[in-house]
Amino acid sequence: MAEVTKKKTGSLKKILIAVLALIIIGAGIYWYVASEKFADTSKRKSVYIVKALDFIKEFLQNDSLANKKYADKIITVTGIVSGIESADTTINIKFIDKATGSYAIFAFQEQHLNEAKTLKAGDDVSIKGSCSGSIYSDILGTEIITFKRCALTK
Amino acid sequence: MKKTLLSTILLFVTVFLFAQRKVTTSAVVAFDATTAIDNQAKAENKTVIAAFDTKTGVLQFEASVKNFAFGNPTMQNHFNSGQWLNSDKFPKMTFNGKVNDLSKVNFNKDGAYTVSISGDLMVKEISKPLNTSAIITVKGGVINATSDFSITLADYGISGASMESGKIAKEPKISVKVELN
Repeated sequence: MAEVTKKKTGSLKKILIAVLALIIIGAGIYWYVASEKFADTSKRKSVYIVKALDFIKEFLQNDSLANKKYADKIITVTGIVSGIESADTTINIKFIDKATGSYAIFAFQEQHLNEAKTLKAGDDVSIKGSCSGSIYSDILGTEIITFKRCALTK
Repeated sequence: MKKTLLSTILLFVTVFLFAQRKVTTSAVVAFDATTAIDNQAKAENKTVIAAFDTKTGVLQFEASVKNFAFGNPTMQNHFNSGQWLNSDKFPKMTFNGKVNDLSKVNFNKDGAYTVSISGDLMVKEISKPLNTSAIITVKGGVINATSDFSITLADYGISGASMESGKIAKEPKISVKVELN
């Protein structure tokens, strides 16, 4: 009788330890996912390095293909700055295809905001960022390509 | 002679009409669905297109869904997933509306004017009416506008366990900031 009770207590202990371990593992995974942050874009590797006007033309020629190729990837785009626009307290940089009005626009990552403020139209630059792909703007009547979390690389 | 005069008038009319329509490609829209138990569901899109006609009050916005930047990668993936915004299928959200009481605003005089706005917000190709207020500030010919409101995610077919468990607000706050030169 005493042996049966001892066995039962032993099994209960094992179950409790297993449940506790699961709770700790679950809490650890939740903490890891909840506290995860996007890495500094300047330290990430570019999937593609492209020239601004060629890049815009790829979207104009076939936006479905270009979106499959570039969207959700880190891309470095080089070119001459066409425009600078204030976005609340920050600055966005644009490369514009003057023939069509289509453009690629770059919103900078928090730690790189000051880099954008140093730029002016006509500067020869390289910008690395997370490409969000293109949309067709009915307001502007043209294709636009947006980037987030950008950093200046040149 | 007649043709030249007509062309000149047409040119002046065109220039005048375009001068009334102010456009920016860097309006800022912030999304905040954080709750007391989870503070990750917030993002900002700084590349929103906005157009405002100072003569008619017509107001338009277009935003790339994928360009909402979250701090947390998992939350950004959820936001773009099929259950939420389904950004691969519905890549943009739009607002088409107007300032109802445009006569309150004197664009030639510096000042802050509170106006009412009504229109349709389209998300995932579901269009719902939106009525809110905005503050238009005129300073040195530059127009700034801000607006804060909430939307109901269920209106746009967005639901899920994270909302039911209270991790994501069912009615996130949206704030809009626009600068028009």
